[in-house]
Amino acid sequence: MRRRSARRARRVAVAVALAGSATAVALLAAPSERGPRGHATAAVRVPPPVAPAFTPGPPRRLGPARDRALWAPVKHAVAVRSAPDAAAPRIATLPAVTPEGTRNVVAIARRGQDRRGGRWVEARLAVLPNGRTGWVPRAALGGYGTVHTRLVVDRRALEATLYRDGRVLLRAPVAVGASGTPTPAGEFYVRNRLTRYRSATYGPVAFGTSARSPGVTDWPAGGFVGIHGTDRPDLVPGRVSHGCIRMRNPDILALARRMPVGTPVIVR
Amino acid sequence: MNGPTLGSVDRDGALTEAVADLCGSTRAEFLRRSALGGAAMLAALAAPAEAATLSDVDILNFGLRFERLQATFYTQADEMGTIGAMAAAKRTWAETLGAHERAHVKIIKTVLGPKAEGRPTFDFGEANETPAAFTKTAVAMEDLTVALLTGVTPIVRDRGLVAALFGLLTVEARHAAWARHLTGANPAPDAFDQPKTLHQVRGVIARTRFVARAPRTSASHSPSFTG
Repeated sequence: MRRRSARRARRVAVAVALAGSATAVALLAAPSERGPRGHATAAVRVPPPVAPAFTPGPPRRLGPARDRALWAPVKHAVAVRSAPDAAAPRIATLPAVTPEGTRNVVAIARRGQDRRGGRWVEARLAVLPNGRTGWVPRAALGGYGTVHTRLVVDRRALEATLYRDGRVLLRAPVAVGASGTPTPAGEFYVRNRLTRYRSATYGPVAFGTSARSPGVTDWPAGGFVGIHGTDRPDLVPGRVSHGCIRMRNPDILALARRMPVGTPVIVR
Repeated sequence: MNGPTLGSVDRDGALTEAVADLCGSTRAEFLRRSALGGAAMLAALAAPAEAATLSDVDILNFGLRFERLQATFYTQADEMGTIGAMAAAKRTWAETLGAHERAHVKIIKTVLGPKAEGRPTFDFGEANETPAAFTKTAVAMEDLTVALLTGVTPIVRDRGLVAALFGLLTVEARHAAWARHLTGANPAPDAFDQPKTLHQVRGVIARTRFVARAPRTSASHSPSFTG
């Protein structure tokens, strides 16, 4: 009788647990078993863990900083100072929009702070003389973008080479400025990318750069140097332009697939 | 059925509040009246309000967005030299977390395949430019990640995904504890981590303004370059 009532009590306990909690589900999944002498043994049939649908690969730290460059959009027009200080001489005004109607962007040369701890950024400027830099408050710029590409234009070899993380991605012949309107040498960056316009002269894609042609300042929009396609592929390679860097159309299309805005452009 | 209800055992309302936070107030009210221990309660807890409107893909895409935010935050700080300027122990922590978040982004993007949303644009302002600002933001971010994963994992329908998200949750909890330890804060201040709904986390992120509008750098404007 005692054994019968004990069994009954056990059944009630299990029923309560079943209705009451997930623990009961676990108990049911691992019912007790009787050993050879009739004693209850420990419940050991634990369900296997659910296989995860995915597992991340091994974590990788960043590699060495080859061809890594920072750029940022200009949030609003701002005075450019000669030093990271609001009282420093104003050397230029940084517009928020380019002549082509795109958001102006600047390449970041350095970051610094003023005496009060305010954050400042030294930006490469798209002004004459080429190669100038100036300081703007960090708050005038938007979020940083990072590029891992670099375009090197060799005026002597009439060749452009695009690198990514130090590796050559693309090499193509170019036409550069004629002797009276040379392509300026220096370190610049890609400011924007224009497509779907109706001008066969510039080919299917044109990149605007921060370089300006010192010899053609009266050019519409101020004589910015572009990198673009052409309707005269027979003149590439050559020294025929007003300062722009011309490429054959298949080459400029290949470049457009690989070169993001913000990419440094080194002309030598 | 006259069993105890959640309302009768939860006199100060703390539990109900937690459930309301997780499941929505209507469901919490239902639970308050439901018999404690009933199958209805288990079913209700397993299906919070968000579950009715969010698919697994929605949840994973939000996870991808949040992991991308974190990965970009750490990667940028690394690239700008903010992490390099920190003491060795903090540098190891920050570099490890950055590597983990990048791995998380990669795998979630792979799992989502063509359903993965595009990469957002981020503007962290000065939050990752100095070691102090970076550390403070990172601690908050890791705490938020734990709350998010605690909140959304139970409403994911696919059991394999649930298992995988638990794997991410425990790692993120380690990140949070590590970050707190390094800053001198209590790594485990509470006996229970309050979950946050996806909606709540979205609100927190919106308030930071870390997700920005992408700058328009392309146009169909006719070029006026020197030619």
